[in-house]
Amino acid sequence: MAVTTEVSEKLNSLPEAAAVTLRMKAEHYFDVIRALLDVFSTKKSLDAIYVTSTIPSATIINALEVLEIGFGHIWFVDCISQIMMSPGHKHEHAVYVESPTMLENLMLKVEYLIRKTKDRKNLVIIDSINSLAIHNNTKILSEFLHILVNNLRAKEAYTIIFSMEQYETDEIRNMLNLVSDETLQVEAEG
Amino acid sequence: MAPREKEEPEERERCITGIDGLDNILNGGIPRGNTVLITGSIGTGKTSLCLEFLVHGAIVGENSLYVSVTESYEKLLNNIIPYDFFDRKLIKDGRLVFIDLPVIYDKLGLEKLEFEFEEVNILVAAIGNIVDELNIKRLVIDSITSVCYRLKTQENIRDFILKLGSMLSSRGCTTLLVSEISPTEERYSQFGVEEAIADGVIVTGNLERRGDLLRTLQAVKMRGTMHSRAKYVLDLTTVGVLLVPLLKGGSIATTGG
Repeated sequence: MAVTTEVSEKLNSLPEAAAVTLRMKAEHYFDVIRALLDVFSTKKSLDAIYVTSTIPSATIINALEVLEIGFGHIWFVDCISQIMMSPGHKHEHAVYVESPTMLENLMLKVEYLIRKTKDRKNLVIIDSINSLAIHNNTKILSEFLHILVNNLRAKEAYTIIFSMEQYETDEIRNMLNLVSDETLQVEAEG
Repeated sequence: MAPREKEEPEERERCITGIDGLDNILNGGIPRGNTVLITGSIGTGKTSLCLEFLVHGAIVGENSLYVSVTESYEKLLNNIIPYDFFDRKLIKDGRLVFIDLPVIYDKLGLEKLEFEFEEVNILVAAIGNIVDELNIKRLVIDSITSVCYRLKTQENIRDFILKLGSMLSSRGCTTLLVSEISPTEERYSQFGVEEAIADGVIVTGNLERRGDLLRTLQAVKMRGTMHSRAKYVLDLTTVGVLLVPLLKGGSIATTGG
């Protein structure tokens, strides 16, 4: 719970439409998700668009159910389920991109969900830069982030980019520094 | 001596397509009255783009006409993307009209498989009459390639498109002509004439990048406006056609369009 409180407090102090890198250890992953989806987006009345290239949206939805977090205002852009050839059930709150290499389609699906949820402002979560970096070279990934973040800023949406400390390289750090207004480190103190 | 004021050319009135990405690419929309070739291979989104152009037109009160050449409009409507903004009332109210060209051929007695100069004039006049009668401000002919198959000679094709374009432009009608090309085609139209006469050319295509197939769109020509000539990736969705810039960081091999 300490991580959830820490992250939500840090997020609450952010300026409107900020682009933020959230650097964390893998063990804090679900606490961070709770902070974002349960505390921050609820408090700010945001529709969350969760872009996952790390684990299938079905896994996150299951976790949300366990954590008793409602997903009425949470939407997924799932870039990993189809590449895994998983025949899983398609969730009504998820749209699917064939592969995490189709970065333009990823942007298009985010745009689509923003238009579908136009009544409220958006929080867009990229989970994670490290998994996207497995499938894409740094050059195209930097270009993608630059366009996406500026586009989201223009639409007054918050952008949160997950980065797993264990998998961060200098190239990823430089890329994130270029597009983020702030980098928040999840310390998990106390 | 006071510097002479340079006269700015008057900005042409725009036909706002309603497709945000395309209007941005075209710096505010298609100059009104232009005849634009929408060209590309199959499955690249030409018909969806054109239908959305018409539906948005009908919504803002511009009567819009879709002339179907190869398949019946009933079949087309059954396969239309269920747009969030589409209301069948637009058809009922006569703002959005669908006509099958073969029906017009029958009415005009144009039974020959090959049209000559005279038949070209009859066809252009018939389309003009419909445009006048229904006060059409947006027109789509899907596809011009199928019409051109009947015209046979390049002279007849040139004559038809020139007359059609000029007749529609004089009526302030903005027109999209759908042109079908094969994925390996190096020109923008089947007969090589259409693109030279049209006021604008928008190319849709498939682009293969590392095994992924992306739908693309590029405005290569548009008279009467400054415009982007970059390639964009498009998605056909229930909120309409969405466009984002093509990322250039990866290696690219083109397969069509």
